[in-house]
Amino acid sequence: MKIKLMRCCALVILGFITTLVQAQDYNNAQQLAQRLRSLASSSSSASLESLTKTLGGKDIWMLTLGTGDVDNKPAIAVVGGVEGKHLLGVEMAVRFAEDVIANRSELLENTTFYVFPNMSPDATEQYFAALKYGRSGNAKPTDDDRDGRLDEDPFEDLNGDGMITMMRVYDETGDWTTHAADARVMVKADKSKGEKGTYKYFTEGRDNDLDGKFNEDGQGGIHFNKSLTYEYAYFTPGAGEHPVSELENRALLDMLYTKWNIFSVVTFGPGNNLSSPWKYNRAGASKRVVTSILNGDDDINQLVSSKYNEIVGLKDAPRSDDQGGDFYQWAYFHFGKLSFGTPGWWVPTVKGDSTAAPNKDKNAEVNFIRWAAQEGINNAFVEWTAIDHPDFPGQKVEVGGVAPFLMMNPPLEKIGDLGEKHAEFIAELAGMQPEIKLVNVKSESVGKGLTRITADLYNAGTLPTHSTMGQRSRWLRRVKVALQLDGNQEVVSGRKVQLIRNVDGDEAQQLTWLIKGKGSVTIEAGAPHTGIVSSSVDLK
Amino acid sequence: MKRIIQKLTVAACFVATAFTVQAQNADEVFRAAGSPHNPKVQISFNRYYTAEGLAALGKKIADAYPNLVKRVSIGKSYEGRDMWMLQITNFEKGDPDRKPGFYVDGNIHSNEIQGGEISIYTAWYLTENYGDIDFVTEMLDNRIFYIVPTINPDARNNYMQEPNTGSSPRAGMIAMDDDQDGLFDEDLPDDIDGNGSITQMRRKSPTGNMIVDPQDPRKMIAIGVDDNVPADVVRYEFLGQEGIDNDGDGQVNEDPHGYYDPNRDWAWKWQPDYIQRGAYKYPFSVPENRAVADFVLAHPNIAGGQSFHNSGGMILRGPGAEEDLSTYNRADIRIYDAIGEKGEKILPGYRYLTVYKDLYSVFGGELDWFYGSRGIYTFTNEIFTSFAYYKNNEGGRRGGNLSYDVDSELLMGDAFEPWKTFNHPTYGEIEVGGFKKNFGRATPGFMLEEECHRNMAFTLYHAYHMPNLSISNVEEKDLGGGLKEITATISNDRLMPTHASQDLKYKIERPDYISIAGVDVQAGMIVEDADFGVTTEQKVNPAKLEVANIPGDGFVKVRWIVSGKGKYTITVDSAKGGLVTK
Repeated sequence: MKIKLMRCCALVILGFITTLVQAQDYNNAQQLAQRLRSLASSSSSASLESLTKTLGGKDIWMLTLGTGDVDNKPAIAVVGGVEGKHLLGVEMAVRFAEDVIANRSELLENTTFYVFPNMSPDATEQYFAALKYGRSGNAKPTDDDRDGRLDEDPFEDLNGDGMITMMRVYDETGDWTTHAADARVMVKADKSKGEKGTYKYFTEGRDNDLDGKFNEDGQGGIHFNKSLTYEYAYFTPGAGEHPVSELENRALLDMLYTKWNIFSVVTFGPGNNLSSPWKYNRAGASKRVVTSILNGDDDINQLVSSKYNEIVGLKDAPRSDDQGGDFYQWAYFHFGKLSFGTPGWWVPTVKGDSTAAPNKDKNAEVNFIRWAAQEGINNAFVEWTAIDHPDFPGQKVEVGGVAPFLMMNPPLEKIGDLGEKHAEFIAELAGMQPEIKLVNVKSESVGKGLTRITADLYNAGTLPTHSTMGQRSRWLRRVKVALQLDGNQEVVSGRKVQLIRNVDGDEAQQLTWLIKGKGSVTIEAGAPHTGIVSSSVDLK
Repeated sequence: MKRIIQKLTVAACFVATAFTVQAQNADEVFRAAGSPHNPKVQISFNRYYTAEGLAALGKKIADAYPNLVKRVSIGKSYEGRDMWMLQITNFEKGDPDRKPGFYVDGNIHSNEIQGGEISIYTAWYLTENYGDIDFVTEMLDNRIFYIVPTINPDARNNYMQEPNTGSSPRAGMIAMDDDQDGLFDEDLPDDIDGNGSITQMRRKSPTGNMIVDPQDPRKMIAIGVDDNVPADVVRYEFLGQEGIDNDGDGQVNEDPHGYYDPNRDWAWKWQPDYIQRGAYKYPFSVPENRAVADFVLAHPNIAGGQSFHNSGGMILRGPGAEEDLSTYNRADIRIYDAIGEKGEKILPGYRYLTVYKDLYSVFGGELDWFYGSRGIYTFTNEIFTSFAYYKNNEGGRRGGNLSYDVDSELLMGDAFEPWKTFNHPTYGEIEVGGFKKNFGRATPGFMLEEECHRNMAFTLYHAYHMPNLSISNVEEKDLGGGLKEITATISNDRLMPTHASQDLKYKIERPDYISIAGVDVQAGMIVEDADFGVTTEQKVNPAKLEVANIPGDGFVKVRWIVSGKGKYTITVDSAKGGLVTK
């Protein structure tokens, strides 16, 4: 305990020193606040506000990076900490913001960034607690096993190492066995291959409520990334009683719904449609309740994904961990924005040499242990050690397994320049943003005080003003083209106000009016997420 | 506009004076069967009340019956009005929030107003008859009602006090950008003739396809291609609902109040606006609904629910969406059917229907959340049907001359605004007229008390069938060696189980606890078959047996093996079934 405290103090001090350079370890809530404040105070283009406090008393921070009329420039929301176990997501979001201010401030002339670095601050704090375990839930007490008792069966640190790992019980009736490539790793016996299990396998702890299940209702909480509306999994642990039940979810969504200029959302979390894009599925896209990216939007995802892979250079991504109620799918399917997600880093695949047993099924734990050994990370695995377990008198019980957090959150020196690379990618995405322009604006006299005006409404960006989903959503404004006339001018033909559903990237739409009168008229065109421009035309 | 304000002020004065009227002397009245004959609180049930009117009536009832009514605000509306709930039970008997609870609300759609009056009528009826009618007395001794007359008070007032049709605003008062032009609620309908109702606009036009019915100047007839209309007959064209192009975008009335639908905001299988129009940001982003949901989540004793809409004469159950068909399973549908079919008898002209197939298929409805997410048997009634006018279905639903006949024969011409000429900024000379907003969906005054009573009767039948638990039998058997076997039968003599099958499937509510105190418990078990001695033992904490469900019109048997002498007590503790001790 004392040792832990001292280490924490050391970390805090270290944190203060290194904020100026680059953080060397993940930030606790206090360090994050300090780091965000110093970023906000370092530049007039950055401002910081707290949207709310969680039940655990932690701030939900929002950084706005932008200049001038920030809410009327196309914007990207960058969100981290959607999964509480994934501290790297927080780090990537903050590094992005720091990188923009330090190295890419010219981006802010045309684009605004809203950065929400940590949506799970109650959960991420467990990384810094005396007892470490991967935690996704906030501070709300929950009845995870729905038996009428709250938080009655938590973890216990049986081997006293300050971490919750796993426990295996030697038992003929068990379904688990050891992995062929590394006997420390447990896998389910494959009965179809005639294998028999010899272990029971649980998380580390006691069966406090004697219901035969271990640690099924500990400090539960609501998982941010399980509690949004898209494919919400009712009555599952961490999802809560209904979607968007929590203060932090509501605060974020309420804020996002006021930012009409957001055209895209980038999430650092478990979901990954950047290494491999979402695939269009006709059946899923044509149902009323849409479950597939829509036709056309898959091409956008493909394009953005190829830019990502080109810039970031990460390979061998594990299968994307999309789950019901998660944020990045919500951002597309329910918020109607172009949504992209990446964990930002994953354990590289170790190409074993001939001395190592082949990892045939690409077991993630086996690969992780090999990678950690190769990188000289020596606390990656807690070796199995026997303990006396009161729930298993007379049985052989061992505690051990992969240490919490590390598989998703490597020591920060291992991520190299991935922070900058991801910033570069987001800058590339900003460079593709829809950009409405009025070009080829002409006026010609038709005689007798009548002027014909023509103009091309041109999207100079790469991305469409409205994706297929964006055209369906009420949360993107139409491209509005309005003529401003004085009292003596009259539209004889054409619409004074028109709303346009979409202009594709590098496409134009010709507009024409007949105006009676003298002087000049102003054409205003755009939407907050495409930029708004105006052009003055002299009547002939 | 001015005219309607004046009219309302007059109405408000009437309300105020009504409150000061004292009960009649007993020798001046004679009881009509089934109704309080000399109530402490006098209420006219042949008119409608604004949000403030309902609030005042609720207060009056609560003040008159402090032992039977608690009036609490469960939250604030968007515009800051209190959401008043009347909690009605015998507060002197038992823990009120541990009695089986029945939730009632009205007016989620702001123009669908009758629920407010039905709610007030129910509160009034229960309190005025407590002690006089045994059914009512027992109901309030053993059950609690949570009644919220309007869960959309802001827009209820908008419907009544601002220009509207009978079908608007339906939403609440949160401004939305319907045409996605960056402006919010910028093109509302306009009351050109100033009568408080949004009616129709027509214009004389040589190319028009309508003429005035020569037999009824209120009525328009469409001209068919084969009709031979004489050249001197004036032709008209319809120009839609009364309004002007307020924002100069070339469209009329395209961004009215809202629009969102508070009944697409509930958290069961919620879907966004593009899937079914009306959803707002996320479930319970409409503040009035959030207040209700938070209350219901905090009151697991609520076993039955009722919401009042209009119109069409329907008793609706879920599912709201076809995709949600599997949520409603056979065991629960059997209970819905029993109550719904009784409703068809109590409410002549009403039909018991299922939302997704008989109305429309939508997500996020209130009744689906109550049932799907909380396991509460819930109906929505669409109040009023044209059957009521002449007690038959002749003239058809919305068909023929019915509305015109009712206007002249039953309502003495009060329903229709005659056509008058106005000058429209875009359309020039037009005529405005048509049926007023309080006709068509809202029950006419002379039938309103009956409407209230029948809907209340249906609600009370539903509430009666919430679980009613008793420890109906306790048997003892000496096992020798100082051991005794105690077998208790817990009965439920009503239709509803303590856990709907949806509840059991997802463990929504905790199990029922049946516990014994005063003896040492060696073992405890649930008796599956008493005759053959089939039991399931509960190894942990046997003194407090956990029973998944106590079925409707059924029982469970539990057994303890105990030692020790003396008195013992058995307690049944069920979230929805209440607390019983013997």
